[in-house]
Formats: sequence, structure tokens, C-alpha cells
Amino acid sequence: MNLKNISIALTVLVFGVIAMLFMQKGNYVNQAREHYEATTAKSFKGNSMVLELVNNAIDMNKSTWAIACEALQTVKNTQDMARLEAKFFPATKGSNSIANKTRRFEASSANVLLSTFAKVEEDKKTGVKSLAGLQSVDVSVLLGNVAAPVAEESADEGEE
Amino acid sequence: MDRKKMKILVVVDIVILVALIIILMTLKGGYEEQAKRTANEQESAYLEQNTQVLVEQWRSIDQYSMAWKLVHTVLSGAKTESAFNTSLAAIEADKDARFKQVSHVYTSAGINDAVQNGIFQKAGLAEGSILLKNDKNSKEVACGKDCVIKFEFAKGKLKGLDYSALVQFNLANKLKIEKPGEYHFE
Repeated sequence: MNLKNISIALTVLVFGVIAMLFMQKGNYVNQAREHYEATTAKSFKGNSMVLELVNNAIDMNKSTWAIACEALQTVKNTQDMARLEAKFFPATKGSNSIANKTRRFEASSANVLLSTFAKVEEDKKTGVKSLAGLQSVDVSVLLGNVAAPVAEESADEGEE
Repeated sequence: MDRKKMKILVVVDIVILVALIIILMTLKGGYEEQAKRTANEQESAYLEQNTQVLVEQWRSIDQYSMAWKLVHTVLSGAKTESAFNTSLAAIEADKDARFKQVSHVYTSAGINDAVQNGIFQKAGLAEGSILLKNDKNSKEVACGKDCVIKFEFAKGKLKGLDYSALVQFNLANKLKIEKPGEYHFE
């Protein structure tokens, strides 16, 4: 009788161990899958974010460059410059410094242009001063130079 | 069942049990090692694939930045073929300025220095020259992935400049981080 119990217990044990044999593989696979999924999900999220943020930054960067390069070909005075700025950035306006004969356009702190003009013109009827004779467009901020050109005296908008 | 058969069953059970425990122990190490190894391999492959996308983006932005600088420099100065050649050579050679300009774009995007340096260490700067075509009166310049701008000269003077590809520059549809695939235990 005693022997019978032992043999039953042993047989149960044998099946138990067989079950363990199959389960242990599943455990390791699950652990590995969890690690893989956590690591790759983190990488996917982080790298997608970098890709997207840089692509978004390019949108503003290229428009600022486009203003600078088009200005060198078409702009004669600050009225022209204002129209060009509005074409790419309808919500942002540059400001003239009559004293320095410059116009500063800042789409963001990283996207700044400083145009230099040759002379000041005054509308005889309204007395509003503007700048004419574009000489150069400074893009040092776009080139990554930390010190941004500053139009010291942010004066009248000039035209509209 | 008689006593003799019981004895045989007990002996057989013990033998099977011992054999199974040996198999269990042997496989345990094997499964563990294999699961870790395959997970690591597949993780590394995926991470490397993502890194390559960011490397390509970084190098594209380097070419894009050089191209804008070139257009601006040529338009700002003497609009001649020789000025083009001099500017191009100077822009390509100044690697510090190139890094600074690319880094400026990334900083403005809110990407911190540690991440930028991580990408830069893998990517470096764009390899080779951005000058794709260098005929006497016609030059083509690479400005990033699938981006080309054109300069036309006549008698050494700038006659035409088409940089519309730069104004429309967009990597969003050209570079993509793929979703990770399923883990395979092989």
C-alpha cells in the first residue's frame, strides 16, 4: 500500500517536471520579449522625436534663409523688406533702426536677420522715415554665431 | 496491481525523474543564454537602424546649411564663377563653422548638446563635396537628401540661380524611424 502511494506520487512528480520543462522556455522568452519591447519602444520614441523636432526647426530656418537670399536680389528699401518678411512670416514684423540704418527681423531667437541700408528716406507728406539702398543682410545668427546682431535703437516701424 | 509491478513503476519513475531534472538543468542555461542573446542582437539591430536615420538627417542638414551659406555668399559678393568656386571651397573646408551651423539648427529644435554630440560622433559631417556637377557654365550643388540647387554662369558672371529646392526643403517624407518589429526567439 505504501509502495503504491509512493509510485503515484512519483508519477505525478514526473508529469510536474515535464510541465516545468515546457514552461521554463516560455518564461525566458517572455522576459527577453519584455526587455526587447521596452528598449526598442524607448528608442523609437526618442529618435522619432529628434527627427520631428529638427524637421520642424528646418521649416522656420529655411524661410529665414529664403528671406535673406531673396532680399539680396529684389529688395531696395524697408517697404520691400517688410513685404518679403510677410510673405514667409505673416505674423512677424521686422523693425527699423533709423539711427543705425538697419532693419532687424526676428522670426525666433534662432532665426534673426539684420539688413543694412545705405540711406534714410522721409515721406514728405507723412514724415515717416524709412531706409533705402539695401547693402547687406547679416545671417550670423543663422550660421550659429552666438552673439546676435543687435539693432540698438528699435525705432519706428516705418511703413505698413 | 501487484507489488512487483509497483516496484518496477517506482524504479522507472525515479529514472525518468532524474533524467528530466538533468534535462531541465541543461536546458535552463541554454534557454536563458539564447533568450538574452537574441534579445540583445535584435535590440542592437533596431537601435543601429534608428541611428542610421539620424546620421542621414545630420549629414543632410550639413549639406543644406552649406548650400544656403553658399547661395547667400554668392549673392552678397561678386556674382561670378570664381567667387562661387572660392566660396564653395572655403565653406566646405571650414569644418568648425559647418558643425556650428548644423548644431544651431538642432539647438533651435530643442535638442540638447549631449544628444547632438551622440549623433555627431556617429555621423561626423557630410562626406565628399556638395558640388555634384561642375561644367564650365553650369554647376549643381547638393543641399541634402534629394535636394539639388543650380547655378548658371555666362562669361564668368552669374546668369541664373535656382535654389527653389532649398526653399522647399523637407525631410519629413524622406526619413522615417520605423516601428520596432516583433521579438523572435530563434
